[in-house]
Amino acid sequence: MATSSLYASTILFGGALALSWFTHGTGTVVNDAKKHINVPTTLTVPLQVQAAYNGTDVYFRYRWPAPNAGIFHDMLRFTGGKWEVRGNAVPGSQRDGLHEDRVSMMLDDGAVPEFGRYGGYIAIGDKLAGFTEEADAKALKDHPYLGKKLGLDEPTKYLPATRSNQNDWASTVPEAEQAKLQSAGYFLDLWHWRAARSNPVGYADDQFITAGRLSDSGRGAYSTNWDGDKKQPRVMFDPAKSGGMKALKWDDVIAGKIAQGAVHGLSEEVSAPFDANAAWQEGDTIPRRMLRAPQASRADIAVAGKALWADGFWEVTLRRRMNTEKPLEDKIIRDGGAYQAAFAIHRQATGGRWHYVSLPISVGFGRPGDVVAAAFTGDAPEWKQAAKQVTLFYPGQVSWPHLNSRTHGGADSIGKGIPVKARHSEEQLAHYGIEAEFAEPIRRQWFLTLFAGFGLIAAFGFALLKSIPKREA
Amino acid sequence: MAGYHVVLVHFPTALWMTAALAIIYRALFDGPVAQAIDKALVPLLSIALVFGVSAYAVGLFVWPFEAISGSPLGRNHMLLATWTTAYWALLLVLRWRRGQAIWQGTMRFVTAGLAVIGAVLLGITGTLGGHLIGVYTDVSQVLRKMGWEVYTTFYVPNLTLAALGAIALVLVVIGYRARAVRA
Repeated sequence: MATSSLYASTILFGGALALSWFTHGTGTVVNDAKKHINVPTTLTVPLQVQAAYNGTDVYFRYRWPAPNAGIFHDMLRFTGGKWEVRGNAVPGSQRDGLHEDRVSMMLDDGAVPEFGRYGGYIAIGDKLAGFTEEADAKALKDHPYLGKKLGLDEPTKYLPATRSNQNDWASTVPEAEQAKLQSAGYFLDLWHWRAARSNPVGYADDQFITAGRLSDSGRGAYSTNWDGDKKQPRVMFDPAKSGGMKALKWDDVIAGKIAQGAVHGLSEEVSAPFDANAAWQEGDTIPRRMLRAPQASRADIAVAGKALWADGFWEVTLRRRMNTEKPLEDKIIRDGGAYQAAFAIHRQATGGRWHYVSLPISVGFGRPGDVVAAAFTGDAPEWKQAAKQVTLFYPGQVSWPHLNSRTHGGADSIGKGIPVKARHSEEQLAHYGIEAEFAEPIRRQWFLTLFAGFGLIAAFGFALLKSIPKREA
Repeated sequence: MAGYHVVLVHFPTALWMTAALAIIYRALFDGPVAQAIDKALVPLLSIALVFGVSAYAVGLFVWPFEAISGSPLGRNHMLLATWTTAYWALLLVLRWRRGQAIWQGTMRFVTAGLAVIGAVLLGITGTLGGHLIGVYTDVSQVLRKMGWEVYTTFYVPNLTLAALGAIALVLVVIGYRARAVRA
């Protein structure tokens, strides 16, 4: 009996260990649109970055893998005799593929010192858009500074010093203080290339981050092609300038059959006023965005050459004057300067926080850096230098308030100014970001697992103890 | 407290690893050296347990509990430390209460197997602790290849929890039945 009990106990204990091993990590991380949770299957994506300058212009060249060319954003589809909007933002990938690919870069000259250590994390404040706990849209619009003054309609990135309380998105410091911070350079320049809303007219959006994510002064590259009163588009493709086409075909759009070189963006050059009496057919599709050449400071960043997707990769080169003469909106690039940058891409029809981001890297202009910008003469860089390989990662839901709270073991390290790279890898941060999205369920399950394992060991010990006859030492 | 924890964990690590080697040696040999080693086992395991519990207790004060229970690595380290301590306590109780019986027949190989598992648990616990302070071994790479990404919390689903509970219950029943038979 003792021997059989011993064997049975050992086999049961071993079986329990094996069962735990093979089922661990399952059952809790589940997508939930109501909580704005959609975890990508790929957690890291490589990005290649190069920079060059000629004393007048600065160039950044980006290359990253994307399974397809996401050249469309939201659309207007003729369905059942009326026009309806398709492609609204959703957690994760938009099911029809209607969200554009993007590459963006935050850039600083050292005036935001935490940025060089923690990158975009510092801009992820309290209850941003897309988080499970999101700031109330109406409260934001009614906010005297963020809504009424800055015109924000969703809780966007912001910098820590623009708030008096890091745990309260609404606690903006007085307007005079905001202006003083911005004058002192306390903002991040944001280069924002959009495959649908800026690329067809040859630009990237020029924005910056202070109390919110704001656009530079001037006219942007897109506006809304939707007449809310008439519930129809404002413009359509001009058949005379678009190869006889007044609209795209829905099936072609969602099947990715429309080539990048074909007319697909509704720019002023190829559009005409909407004709409600035209013979519209089921599935006729018109972009919800009208495109136009941006103006003033918003037009600072141009696409150099053509931004192209080929063989599973996007290759995008952006060009800007080193000195845009807008020091309150742009980071002025100087020869001999050292800067910090962080990158992000959107791909596979994702928007909002469903992007891949980088940790901060340094960019040197005639100075050492993670990326050393190549000096050249003439109009076009030769790109002879090796590209910097940057690892982008899915950031999940990790905010600056959390990182500085008692719930983050590294809060003290942040207080001491220890950079994130000294503690975490991109892969690690991707896993941590996901776990942050399921913080409470995982913590509960972990507790139960800990006690279950403890109980199992105790029970195993009891069984062994009672199965073995005592013999004196 | 982090420094004290780091200093303290050296003791149970060294003592339990020594104990694992001693148990394996004793399981394989019956000679005078093995007998001498065996006599040192209970004191060795007792001292190791005292240091282990001390290191565990001090470790709880390195970070606020909200932080250690909010970090995947922290959770894993705590989970493995709990299991490791409990497991070596089990080995101590077995040797202490059952004496030479644990070296009889096939039981000696079960004991050796338990020591190996104990050493593995201890190694994983140490590696996870190393990750928390940024100094770690490639043990985590081995675990990744075996299916566990150490940057994710080790937890099991409810169905497995239920199975573990049932198995624990069966083990208790086996123990009681074995005692009844022996009585």
